[in-house]
Formats: sequence, structure tokens, C-alpha cells
Amino acid sequence: MEPDHERELVERCRRGEVGAFEELVDRYKNLVFAMITRTFPDRSQAEDLAQDVFLRIHRGLPYFRGEARLSTWIYRIVVNLCTQDRGRGMSSVSLDDANARVSTPAAADRHADDLELRDRLEKAIAQLPAQYRLLIAAHYLRGVQYEELAEAMNMPLGTVKTQLHRAKRQLRMLLETDLK
Amino acid sequence: MTCDGVLNAIELIAAGELKADDQMTVHLTTCASCRSALEAARRLDTLLRQRPVATPPAQFTSRTMARIRRARWRNEQMIDWSFNAALTLVAMAVAAGIWIVIRRSGLTFTAANDAQQLLGAELRAFFQRASASLPVYALATALLVTALGIWWWAERDATV
Repeated sequence: MEPDHERELVERCRRGEVGAFEELVDRYKNLVFAMITRTFPDRSQAEDLAQDVFLRIHRGLPYFRGEARLSTWIYRIVVNLCTQDRGRGMSSVSLDDANARVSTPAAADRHADDLELRDRLEKAIAQLPAQYRLLIAAHYLRGVQYEELAEAMNMPLGTVKTQLHRAKRQLRMLLETDLK
Repeated sequence: MTCDGVLNAIELIAAGELKADDQMTVHLTTCASCRSALEAARRLDTLLRQRPVATPPAQFTSRTMARIRRARWRNEQMIDWSFNAALTLVAMAVAAGIWIVIRRSGLTFTAANDAQQLLGAELRAFFQRASASLPVYALATALLVTALGIWWWAERDATV
């Protein structure tokens, strides 16, 4: 979304224009929902949290000074909410759950193996600290740049890159045998 | 070039954010362990790029807007309640002030006796008049309480 269009939308929301906030929700719901579902796999919690994000946006809009981009501010709200709610739905995930997997002939069950690997990837991601999960979630979403992420997380650009690098290394270690 | 040096950069190389220099390239061709780590990092990068992106349910916007409206309504209700409570406190303070003034001026005893007599006579007359219509009043009260109960239940249900 163009910065000018963003500012105009914020102004319309502040004026209380009918349908303006609905337009904002429509514009950002995919991004917010995608980031949250990648951090919290439970879909029912994800919807609740995504609604919480928009509630906070609605409450905070009168105080939004426009120094950062609207999208950056929204990321920041998502980050804050996800790190506050990091206890939700994350305790029961263990990579060992997949130990009961059935070994199948590689040629016939390639698709099943892929699905299993994806499942193990999600479980491995769930084991990462909330900050790392968020970085992985946001970085691999289209359109989320390092700079925007650094601003949203209130971190220097170098720190974001280093943490992302560490998160990926930790993931690689967790999935060591699966990735070979 | 050591394994540590290469392994430190492996995620960046895998993501295409860093190009392996000559020394790294030589190391990667000779060290099976680092080569395997690079392949694993590349596979991980691909998997992360291919992670499915969940989309919100169809009614997400309308449900969010409804929640915002409820939150706003609750805020307004809270302001109303605070205002009413403040008003009640002011009224009580005024009444207490009047009572203190009357008490200090020495009118308390006579005023209280007169008030008691007046109030007693009025109350007796009121109950005599109202006793005939008591069932009607009881029914109206029951209806009012039921209506309030239904309203409270509907509002409570809507906020869940």
C-alpha cells in the first residue's frame, strides 16, 4: 500500500468516516492473520488474537503520529501481542511426537514424507523462542522487509539479521536428521 | 578457512544473501560436513518459503467490526456508570452538608419530629391507597424484572 494512501486511510479512520476502519481491516487482515497463525498454530486462538490486534489498532489510531508506516506500526502491535501471549498453545508440542512415524518406501510415500517433514518443521518452529518464531514468520511472508521488521521490533537492523540467522540455525539443528 | 567460519555464514549463503568467496567455495568442495550443512540449510530455506499462508475466515472483518462496536459500547457504558456514580456521590455530599447545617443550627429535633409525623401520615395513606392495586404492582414489577433479565442475558451473550 502506498504511504500516501496509508496516511489518507488513517485520517479517514480518525475522522470516524463510515467504512474506513473496515477498509483498514480488509487491507491488513491477511498479513496479520498469516503472521499470527505462523506464530500460534491454533486457528481459533489465531482469529481471537488477530481481532485483538485490530482492537488495539482501533484504540491506538488517535495516538498514531504517523512517524512510522502504518504497516510497521501494525507489525509492532502483532509482535507485542504475540510475545505477551507466548504461553498460548505452545506447551504440548514436541518433536518426539513424530518418533512414532511409520517408515514407508521412499518412492511410494514421497508426498507423505513431505507432509511429515512440514509437520516436523512446524513442531520445530513451535520450540523456538517467541521472538525467533515471529522473525521466521514475518521474514518469510511476502512483503515484510528487514528494515520494517527492525523498526517494528524496535531493534537494530543487524540484530534482526543475527537473530534470524540464529533462529534458522536452531531450526536446522532441530531438524538435522530430517533435512539430510 | 575453518569449518566454524563457513558454518557461521551457512544460513546467509543458503538464503542467497551472501555469496561464498573463493576460500569458502574451496572449503565446501573438500569438507563433506559443511557441504551437508549447506544442503540442509538450503532445504530448510525452501521449506520455510513454502510454508502455507493461512487466510482469515470469510466473516473475519464483520466479526472484528462487531467486536469493536461492542468494546466501544462497553466503554461508553463505563463512562455512563462513572458519571452516574459521581452524580450520586455529589447528591449524597449535598444531602450530608444540608444535614450538618440543620444539625448545627439547632433545628434538628423539631425538624426531625415534624418530618417523622408528616412522613408517617403520608406513608400510611399511601399504603392504604396502594393495597387495593397491589397485585397489579406486583405483576408490573415482575414484568419489569423479567425484561431487565432478558436484556442483561442478551447483552451478555452478545459479548461472548
